[in-house]
Amino acid sequence: MSRGDLKVEVAHVSKQFNGEDPAHGLALSDVSFGVRTNEFVAIVGRSGCGKSTMLNIIAGLLDPSEGEVLINGKPVKGPGLDRGMVFQHASLFPWLTAIENIEFGPRNLGVPRERRRLLAQGLIELVRLKGFEGKYPRELSGGMQQRVAIARAMAMDPEILLMDEPFGALDQLTREDMQRELLRIWEGHKKTVLFVTHSIIEAVYLADRVLVFAPHPGCIRKEFSIGLPRPRQKSSTEFMRYYEEIYEAIG
Amino acid sequence: MRRSADGPPRRTRRGVTDFQIKLITLAGLLLLWEALSRLGYISPLVLPRPTRLATTLWDLSVYGFPKDITVWLHIRATLWRIVQGYLLAAVFAIPCGLIIGRYYLLERGTNPIITFARSVATISLLPLAIAWFGVSELSRVLLIMYGAFWAILTNTIQGARSVDVNLINAGRMFAATRGRIFFRVILPATLPRIFAGLKIALGISFMVIIAVEMIGTVEGLGALIQQARFFYKSDMAIDGTIFIGILGLILSLLLDWVERLTLPWAVGLEEVKR
Repeated sequence: MSRGDLKVEVAHVSKQFNGEDPAHGLALSDVSFGVRTNEFVAIVGRSGCGKSTMLNIIAGLLDPSEGEVLINGKPVKGPGLDRGMVFQHASLFPWLTAIENIEFGPRNLGVPRERRRLLAQGLIELVRLKGFEGKYPRELSGGMQQRVAIARAMAMDPEILLMDEPFGALDQLTREDMQRELLRIWEGHKKTVLFVTHSIIEAVYLADRVLVFAPHPGCIRKEFSIGLPRPRQKSSTEFMRYYEEIYEAIG
Repeated sequence: MRRSADGPPRRTRRGVTDFQIKLITLAGLLLLWEALSRLGYISPLVLPRPTRLATTLWDLSVYGFPKDITVWLHIRATLWRIVQGYLLAAVFAIPCGLIIGRYYLLERGTNPIITFARSVATISLLPLAIAWFGVSELSRVLLIMYGAFWAILTNTIQGARSVDVNLINAGRMFAATRGRIFFRVILPATLPRIFAGLKIALGISFMVIIAVEMIGTVEGLGALIQQARFFYKSDMAIDGTIFIGILGLILSLLLDWVERLTLPWAVGLEEVKR
């Protein structure tokens, strides 16, 4: 794959957290990988393997200690409109209603009231939350909150969606619904997705490619291309084979 | 489902509302008090009977004590002092608290000073205030401000300091500038704690006001109680105290109402749904 095709390029990134002893403070050590345009990449690994740190560095919320991240060939200097983020616990603004949360980004960009309302209405429909526009986050279930969080990220129309264990706190059934919803949205609005999870099944179900991270220090241990057509059957033998290979890689 | 405090009136089987029950209980207690007093079980010098309190109240609101300073003027004076001192405290403490709470070094540096200043009982500053500003309205208002200031400040600092970092990150991801993050993320996230501080400060203001009104003024509920004490008028002192209680109750309810209006997202879920 040539450099020109890469939407995201992570080059020799290390992250040393200040004030911690070097043996444990090294969250990431010389990590390099690329993500192609419209590719869906999942990062899996045990807690503490630096996968969330990696996502935050790509988001521009954290600076790498060494190395750099390139988006469309340009180095990341901080958060940007080309990247949207869906946080682990939705992290919606509790004082804003569902639709106001979705409008938060466009409002900061100075999009006029009517236009951003229209945009948000469309996204409410996309994430199937019609009738819940005026609800505050605490009045919504966990799954609904994550739908709002996805819509909030989509409202900026980013090229890249960064997702940090977005379904980790949901119950099993809601989680599977959300996985299908995410694929539907991804297929409808081509986006490049980087999805951090600790669930191997989720990673194999969703992603084109799975990166397995290992801890102490955080680095990529192995990489898998998932050559299965969608929708994928979680009970199929091929699916299970990927599951077992990745399980072994995580160790 | 639990019923919220100000939900529809609850009716018992006999059709009596909650409010009526409270009223009947209060009336019953007053009646018992009146009866015990008239039967000679309670000395009117120790505890005047309710009817005596009522006639004194009538005298206070028509003729006043000292002459021509009616209870309404006393209430007005007390209220005005509280409003000035309390609002001044809020106006300075909220911005200071937000800034201190957001800057780690500032928070660490000011922490001992704030803890010290907060621990100083406001009333103990009365002689100093008089030495600096004389026996004046300024002294009284500044003392109320002092008492209220630290409660609002410390609560605002705590609130600003503990804003969920993910909310700030979300602000950064969704194109908010530093200024917008301050006003649209940190400020609303801190508001519940600010209100907690405002409520504590209101109680403190009431403690301070009554004390500072006992010196160098004839106007105000504190002054009324002090004057009543000089003339051994316990009925008048009790009436003054009742008014202080009622005033405090009304201001607390007002603050609760403002909070519900400002933070519909933070109060009880049932109320939000209604």
